[in-house]
Amino acid sequence: MSTLALPRRSEIIRAHQAHGGRIAAVLPIHYPRALLRAFDILPVEVWGPPRIDPSPGAAHLQPYVCSLVRNALAFLLAGELDVADVVIVPHTCDSLQGFASILVDFIQPKQPVLPIYLPRGNRPSDLEFLANEFRALYRALAAITHCTPADAELLASNAREEHADDLLAELHRRRNELAMTQLELYRLIRSREYLPAEMFIEIVGATLHGYSAQGDHPGSPRQNVPIILSGIVPEPMVIFDALAEMRAVVIADDLASCGRRLYPRGTSADPFVRMAERILNAPPDSTRGGAIPERLEHLARLVATTNAKGIVFYDVKFCEPELFYLPTLRQGLQARHIPSTVIEFDLNDAFSQQARTRVEAFIEMLG
Amino acid sequence: MSLSNEINYRVNTTIGKAALRAVRWQAERQASNRWKTDYLAPQLKIAPRTKELIGRHYLEGQYANANAHRKVAWATSGAPTEFLKAMDFYVLYPENHAAVCGTARRVEDISTEAENVGYSRDICSYARTDIGAMLSGKTPVGKLPKPDLLLACTNICQTVLLWYRVLAHHFNVPLIIIDTPFIYTETTDYAVAYVKRQMEEAVPIAEKVAGKKFDEKKFREITRLSKTASELWSQVMERGKHRPAPISVFDQFIQMAPIVEMRGEAYTVDFYADMLKEIDERIARGVGSVKEERKRLLWDNLPIWYRLRYLAEFLAERGVAIVASTYTNAWAELAPMFDPQNPFESGARTYLHPILNRGTGYKLETMKRMVKEFALDGAILHNDRSCKPYSIGQIDQRDRLLRDADGRGVPALLLEADHNDPRAFSEEQAATRLAAFVEMLE
Repeated sequence: MSTLALPRRSEIIRAHQAHGGRIAAVLPIHYPRALLRAFDILPVEVWGPPRIDPSPGAAHLQPYVCSLVRNALAFLLAGELDVADVVIVPHTCDSLQGFASILVDFIQPKQPVLPIYLPRGNRPSDLEFLANEFRALYRALAAITHCTPADAELLASNAREEHADDLLAELHRRRNELAMTQLELYRLIRSREYLPAEMFIEIVGATLHGYSAQGDHPGSPRQNVPIILSGIVPEPMVIFDALAEMRAVVIADDLASCGRRLYPRGTSADPFVRMAERILNAPPDSTRGGAIPERLEHLARLVATTNAKGIVFYDVKFCEPELFYLPTLRQGLQARHIPSTVIEFDLNDAFSQQARTRVEAFIEMLG
Repeated sequence: MSLSNEINYRVNTTIGKAALRAVRWQAERQASNRWKTDYLAPQLKIAPRTKELIGRHYLEGQYANANAHRKVAWATSGAPTEFLKAMDFYVLYPENHAAVCGTARRVEDISTEAENVGYSRDICSYARTDIGAMLSGKTPVGKLPKPDLLLACTNICQTVLLWYRVLAHHFNVPLIIIDTPFIYTETTDYAVAYVKRQMEEAVPIAEKVAGKKFDEKKFREITRLSKTASELWSQVMERGKHRPAPISVFDQFIQMAPIVEMRGEAYTVDFYADMLKEIDERIARGVGSVKEERKRLLWDNLPIWYRLRYLAEFLAERGVAIVASTYTNAWAELAPMFDPQNPFESGARTYLHPILNRGTGYKLETMKRMVKEFALDGAILHNDRSCKPYSIGQIDQRDRLLRDADGRGVPALLLEADHNDPRAFSEEQAATRLAAFVEMLE
């Protein structure tokens, strides 16, 4: 077993800036990485972050807004996003909509704030709209950077991101072969949140090559109870160590920050349409308003293809997109004899003993 | 449709409507005052007619599934339903039904049905109420018709889409989504084109369900009626500028039902025309909704449906009239955008622009404008736990109202509650805060 030495976010940001590149702080979840990179803007995602002082956010947001959004605002107000040249806020939910709106109208940080609207369907009209939305983002970025990348550069950037995402998908698929802990695996998966595609390709490529066909290891499903983790983001990340202690292994995930972003390759020769296609054809996601049967089929397929024994819905408190689907999804899973449990968490809480006990009881029941 | 169904439908709706009319006549003769305080003017004479209209609407709904000539659509309150009405759909608005449950104080009982199967109390209480009603059949309106079609428009929140996904799965019927990109600052031509295209593409889906061809001439006429009713509703609210205000926001909350769920109907136009006449009579006679109006306030956000009377009376007794509301204004401010000659294009533009689909800065500007135009002394911002899109931004909006409305501060109170769930409302706490706020206004 090996400990992966991943570069830290701050190192990556400094290195990118050192060669003249810009930084975008990007809020969850879906956005066109390739478009930003074509402008030499490195997207660095902001998923909270967890365990910070959320009180500055409380001066603008009500307590019933999820901790992911409140923390992001607190982080920004504390000056932690000052390193960013631009803030990108995808329209993921009502809370992020409000977040972007108060940034634009009231808080007005030093960087430009660029919201992106993501359509809630996958019809031709949605594709056309999203491509137009990306064209508008292109114009906004051009105004900020004074660069106007040509279609060929956009397509090259697309190709690089598609290659990185292919490897990310392979990493998800071949996780059983890798002699690394679950925590290490998910750190590697989540490094896509800030690593430039070319670096991610290099690291993941080497990892997949170096660790193939290793046989049994501590994270092997042969020795552990395989489960699916569903939700928005696996924070606190110690959940993976806790699961390992319970002799459970996340064999696949339906996390908005991870498995729901396994974007397929696009097909269009138009770079904007291609970027839009990739997002709209990603696995079903509550925040994109996917139909319940689609989500249910997706989860059932994940279970069937991985032989998972059950699903842990691990959700951020107050996350309406997730909460609406849960009862029907769980009923549908139960009808297919797939057990599931729900754990709610706040980004600022440790992995509580109560949550640990519930997951433990669930794993024991599966085992 | 079987003959017995046809007879059942005709007899029940005819008898039911006659009974509702009789109830209305009786109420009009008695001219009863529903208030428990003398500080409020008697209810509007048109109130029994509102009750009759709402009663007729739900009565039609009760038997709608028995009428094979008419299909049922459930739609969100901000959805462009004119094209459905052009195909003679009976349109039910679950949000309105939930509000009816709220005023009837049935929410706790009904929403528990949803909570018992796993719906979190952190989701919208309208949704919980309607999902509870869907699962249990419990409702204060007799019976809700099953939908043949669902129409969700995201111009009021993303929540409705998630909610309608649940409905679509439960009823196994088609769901039309009209997605309206949120307007942070200003809209784009491609967003208008996107909404227009979705509306046009929805027509064949609805035609298939209705078994009827879309009638564009009828669509234009219904759009015209929607526009006219919205204009009249706008004038009703404008009358609140008079001092004393002839109509309060609490009256508006009750009288808004037709503009939400009966838009595009000739009788809705007649209703608001008559209401306007009555209000003008009140103005001529110097009748104020609050008899001793001393202070005038703005209401922001949804009503607290289960405490309307309590709040109206509490404030009236202290000489406070709430005369303007960003919420009731939402069904009026878009009236000029409707163009009956160009119903798809103008419909797309209209339904993109509700206040809930616009940025927090726009809402602040709307509040500031209302404060000025209605000569208001302050604002109550209902911090509604169940409506994130309306509530997020209120902390900053209140702050700006306090310190920079035309150089003079406007007192503003954030009142914590939930529009439909009484379990999230502390009457003692609200009373203390309201009393302190009113004292501060003096």
